[in-house]
Amino acid sequence: MTLYEKIKTLYPSLTEEDFVPTTGTIVLQNDSDGKGDYIRKWNHPTLAKPTDEELS
Amino acid sequence: MSSIVIQGDTSGSITVEAPSVAGTHTLTLPKVTSTLATTADISGPAFSAYQSSSQTLSTSTNTKIQYQTERFDTNSNYDNVTNYRFTPTVEGYYQVNASLGVGASATGVYTQIFKNGSLYEGSYDAGHSTITSTISSLVYLNGTTDYIEIYGNFGSGQVTAASSSQTWFNAVLVRAA
Repeated sequence: MTLYEKIKTLYPSLTEEDFVPTTGTIVLQNDSDGKGDYIRKWNHPTLAKPTDEELS
Repeated sequence: MSSIVIQGDTSGSITVEAPSVAGTHTLTLPKVTSTLATTADISGPAFSAYQSSSQTLSTSTNTKIQYQTERFDTNSNYDNVTNYRFTPTVEGYYQVNASLGVGASATGVYTQIFKNGSLYEGSYDAGHSTITSTISSLVYLNGTTDYIEIYGNFGSGQVTAASSSQTWFNAVLVRAA
């Protein structure tokens, strides 16, 4: 399961618009360095940024 | 009347060569105080690379695009093995161009120029049948530590189109600082 899928599972109310790069409040990133996807920015107005534990 | 000064300590000779056509030829200097041309102006960095092995991007995740195969890299300033970044060794203004192709189905594609790890400019193609997204921009780079990379973002996770005609990245110095 990707990070995007984990976040969507944790917060089903999130929509695709929340992740749109130009206007969304959440930015996921992967630097192609073998470390995988991570949360680059989380500015959602009501939902808290998930903890590592919640995403594991 | 101004004077002409030839200076420097290089050996050999200096040749001003006229073209092999008849007529009068005039070399006109700029009306501002400046150096007409430097070595950097003439032989500034230029590189071109493309993706030869596809990547899988997760849905809505900015991912650094790996352009693994170089067509040319005049100053060895592009890293096509580890970091996939262009770090030119000459300060100036660079024309940067990149394209990212989708490998499977139509989806929104966001192609971005990152400078020193942060978004510099992006181009968003919102999910119609077009399968490539391109971006072109001018970027100032300091010739020492500044670098640029290309990041891509697919609205629907899938593989990139690894192809010299669809997924490529190039840059060239267009004006020294």
